[in-house]
Amino acid sequence: MIARATGRAVKWRRRGDNALRFIAAVPAGYAVASLWAAALARVLPGSRVGATVAGALIALALCAAAAMYAYGARSGARALLVLCLLGVVAAAIVWASVSASGRL
Amino acid sequence: MGVGFGVGSPVSRPFRQSQATLHTWSGLLLGWVLFIVFTTGTIAFWREALNRWMRPELPRIEQPMRVLSGAQAFLQRTVPDGQSWYITMPSDRMPVATLFWIPKTDADAPSGRGRRRRGTDTQALVGADGTAVVARDTRGGDFFYRFHFDLHYMPVLWARWIVGVAAMMMLVAILTGIVTHKKIFRDFFTLRRGKGQRSWLDGHNATAVLALPFHLMITYTGLVTLMAMLMPWGAVANYTDEAKISKALFPHVEVPERSNRPAPLVDLVPVVRDAERRLGGAAAYVEVREPGDASARITVTRSPATLLNTRGASVAYDGVTGRPIWQSPPPDGASATAGVMIGLHAGRYADLGLRWIYFLCGVAGTVMVASGLVLWTVKRRERLPDPARPHLGFRIVERLNLGVLGGFPLAVAGFFWANRLLPTADAGRAEREVTVLFVVWGVAFVAGLILRPRWGWQALLGGTGAALIALALFDLATLRPGMFARFLGGDSLWVGTDLTLAVFGIAFLLIARRVARHRPTIRVRTRRAAISMDAMA
Repeated sequence: MIARATGRAVKWRRRGDNALRFIAAVPAGYAVASLWAAALARVLPGSRVGATVAGALIALALCAAAAMYAYGARSGARALLVLCLLGVVAAAIVWASVSASGRL
Repeated sequence: MGVGFGVGSPVSRPFRQSQATLHTWSGLLLGWVLFIVFTTGTIAFWREALNRWMRPELPRIEQPMRVLSGAQAFLQRTVPDGQSWYITMPSDRMPVATLFWIPKTDADAPSGRGRRRRGTDTQALVGADGTAVVARDTRGGDFFYRFHFDLHYMPVLWARWIVGVAAMMMLVAILTGIVTHKKIFRDFFTLRRGKGQRSWLDGHNATAVLALPFHLMITYTGLVTLMAMLMPWGAVANYTDEAKISKALFPHVEVPERSNRPAPLVDLVPVVRDAERRLGGAAAYVEVREPGDASARITVTRSPATLLNTRGASVAYDGVTGRPIWQSPPPDGASATAGVMIGLHAGRYADLGLRWIYFLCGVAGTVMVASGLVLWTVKRRERLPDPARPHLGFRIVERLNLGVLGGFPLAVAGFFWANRLLPTADAGRAEREVTVLFVVWGVAFVAGLILRPRWGWQALLGGTGAALIALALFDLATLRPGMFARFLGGDSLWVGTDLTLAVFGIAFLLIARRVARHRPTIRVRTRRAAISMDAMA
């Protein structure tokens, strides 16, 4: 009886973990990659067009890397947390840069 | 990359396992879209060749400047006061100029370009004699090129998002596939035939590893072609208006307002000759704005056939005096990188030999995707509790495999047949060829649902093989005598295409025969085997 109850709990915990990993890999991964595309477009040296294109080129690879990390991380919650932190860093860079020098 | 992890160390094993899971699901979920994208993309490496092969009425390859002169005569006669003319230059792969024009907009018409792309009255194929070539109406190789990223019967934007997401999943599947492989280099040399799951796995590995640099390159650069749509956020962060970045990325000469003072257009031939000298290579596109007006502008763009960067430089001329007035600035490093990546993807720079390598790598990629999808079922079939009655998920994958991997090649063969058999004079013929493709696919799909999978595979693969071989024979038999003369004269397109079709037909027949002879090994599922299998998954 107890064994079955724990079995069920383990099953649900695994499902929850998988859901978190999926959220980290797809929506969160894309959001973080997008924010870094924006941040790199703001801070990379050279012309604005060049930095924009370079940022997008790198962000495409980040998207794939985020998905791999989301499934490789110790837990789904941890993956989501780390990706959110990375996103916050990028968002802060974009915010600081745009409020300092505006957009073209 | 994963090869660097220590084999069997406590950290690397779960990581590799997690990546194997990701590999399975990212490869499966849009795997059928990927198969279609790979198939049409691979065929599209022969886009120009098929444009010609599917129009046997086209004349022989002609000196480009003579064709340009004919094109100008045609346009001056047909749309002397058009808003713009677009001329795609002939090449050593295309004997005629492909023309497209926008007629003069009426004063009361809404502003902006009246985009009537499909209208037959705004496009033509014109040869050196200045008359429109009467060739059968077909989309030719362009169909595969468009289908590769625009799909069909759906808004272009949806299609590109679907293809973009599928490509990202492909990239993840490739990277995780590399991580999953412990023995990546040994697998390259391993093909155990007739061993069921092992053989499928070896086939999947061999086609994947054999052309791994190509698969990585083609997938990532494919994403780059859709980058502006998939990843616009850097542009949003830098620019208040999308038009500003387009202007910076794709510089274009300013065209003054139409003056309404008539002035004859300069002869295009010396202008294009001068442009080719300035650009350092053959011209591919000539755009004329406001022809016949004093404000006319001519822009000549260099052909990507001799350039790695797909965005060739351009130079603009005053349309009345023929004096050069503008040249596109050299692109910055990152834009040039993106341009070269798109160039690598499309392979327009590739000559015949390299084109074959592209094509064969594309075939390897297609087989990799197909074998991966089949492997999913092969691997699970042995673990089914009751192989006679598999669960719903298994049946869906099995039937989708049959309908797409078996059905789509047959549909492509049907498309080629339609090109040869539909009456050449019919209007709306091009779209009917496409309809034939989808009808054949639909019928194949239904057959795949009704027939037992084993028979379904034999019918579809065998049918495709027979259809391709018959097409090659039919084509060689009905080939006009002039084609053989051209072949002897060094134009290998007609005979070469038919031979290629025949070789693919034979390959399909051989695979169908293998399926027919295959006796699946039924293993006794012991409890221990089941546990170790579950641990592997």
